Amino acid sequence: MLNPTTQSEPNIEVHKFYSGAILLVAFLALLLQAFLHKYGRLAELLDLPLLVTVYFGLSRRNPVSGMFLGTAIGLLQDGLGHDNPIGMYGIAKTIVGFVAASIGGRIDTENPLSRFLLIFAFFHLHQTILTLTQRVLLNEPAHYFTLRLLVDSLVSAAFGVLLFSLLDRLRKPS
Amino acid sequence: MLDVYSRHRPYALLAAVVLIQVLMLAFQIKREHDVRLIRFWAVQLMTPVERAGSWMTSKVDGVWSGYIDLRSTHAEDQRLKSELDELRIRNHELETQAGEAQRLETLLNFRDAHPEAPMLAAQVIGASADPTSHTLFLNRGEHDHVRRNQAVITPDGVVGKIVEVFPSASQVLLINDKDGAAGALFETSRTQGIVKGTGDSDPVMDYVSNDEKVQSGESIVTSGLDRIFPKGFPIGTVESAKPGNPFQSIKVKTAVRLDRLEDVLILLTTQDIAVKKQAPETGSAPQVSAPVPQTEAARRGETSGAKKEETRSVPAHKVPPAMENPAPPATNPPANPAPAPAAAAPDESH
Repeated sequence: MLNPTTQSEPNIEVHKFYSGAILLVAFLALLLQAFLHKYGRLAELLDLPLLVTVYFGLSRRNPVSGMFLGTAIGLLQDGLGHDNPIGMYGIAKTIVGFVAASIGGRIDTENPLSRFLLIFAFFHLHQTILTLTQRVLLNEPAHYFTLRLLVDSLVSAAFGVLLFSLLDRLRKPS
Repeated sequence: MLDVYSRHRPYALLAAVVLIQVLMLAFQIKREHDVRLIRFWAVQLMTPVERAGSWMTSKVDGVWSGYIDLRSTHAEDQRLKSELDELRIRNHELETQAGEAQRLETLLNFRDAHPEAPMLAAQVIGASADPTSHTLFLNRGEHDHVRRNQAVITPDGVVGKIVEVFPSASQVLLINDKDGAAGALFETSRTQGIVKGTGDSDPVMDYVSNDEKVQSGESIVTSGLDRIFPKGFPIGTVESAKPGNPFQSIKVKTAVRLDRLEDVLILLTTQDIAVKKQAPETGSAPQVSAPVPQTEAARRGETSGAKKEETRSVPAHKVPPAMENPAPPATNPPANPAPAPAAAAPDESH
């Protein structure tokens, strides 16, 4: 089981960010996602709020802050939607933020390959929670896995590696 | 106990947060209520920025497509110009065809309205090379039974007469040519005179006494005395009238635009064509009423008593010489009669 208190371990580096950077990036991610909706399929390929949630969760390595960041981003994403009930993305991103922050201290999150695999895994975790919520709580049909979701997750993972290296620049020098 | 709580505090928080959201979902589903507050604030937070972003995007897009990304603009410009030229030519062709169809329809309607008066539609194919001569060439000739001194008209009024006939063409002397003329009378006062060309664009009406009251805009129609043009057919209207010596100087505005003729009718008879003036508001070609054939008696001037009284004719020696059966005796002979233009009459010498 994951130990959510890994931030306190002395050999784990907790990255600090410039003040307001997290909020600004989260806000921009939501904004860009809304913009991407104009271009249809592109918005489905990339889930920028998810990538931001994962990145800050992995970097901050604080499950509580990762969870609350995921909750905030998820609820805002729900709020910007039209037909999905509030809480759907909220629940999924709450859990993703928590898990990302919990495992961030355990594995190497700086290596591009591990980042690729982590994003790929979190994409499917997020999708699984969403599908569960839809099927169990909302009684709506949804698929856990499709070929299209696989392609989406691969594209998201590849894009996420590039995005993470960009977001690394917002870190305060240790 | 406290140690256990602090160790599992993150999980407890996670469970609490997830539970709250699950309850929120359940609330929305069961009551079919929307958590409007979250949606409201999310939208309030994002839309101003989205709006600004959208504005910026459109501006950047405008600058990009309008100033930077012009690689294909020149080629497209050339293509569009070429397309525009083609469309202009096509449009001109269609307009020409439509105009021609309309003119031909007018001619056809006019001809159909007068089945008793044989007419031949003809196209203007040329004009005289002499700038002082007002003549036209038509695409009808001897093969079409065209003869000299046949009247050339349009549904609007008198054009001229045939002066030369060739196997497949003929020449028309327009009414405004210096040798052109037609027996005429004022439609309302029935005063007779002769409309003759001066070489200018507008002909004049001669042999009208100075005592006669002539008003601007008064209609002038053919008198039929020249035996070329049927009686009562429009020639034009009075443009201006002023006293002269020995007759009034009356400038006539022709009913037909003689400088813009394209299609005409050659009248193969001198039978009268009754023409009824159209209501002024319509302003188009005159409506044709039931034709009233001119009897030989009428041609000789033996009209009904009332009409005879109204009609004041030009004396026989004032009308064009070829009018062999002139109008009734003059009631108002001019003091110094002038010689009438010879071309108004059927030219038997040709």
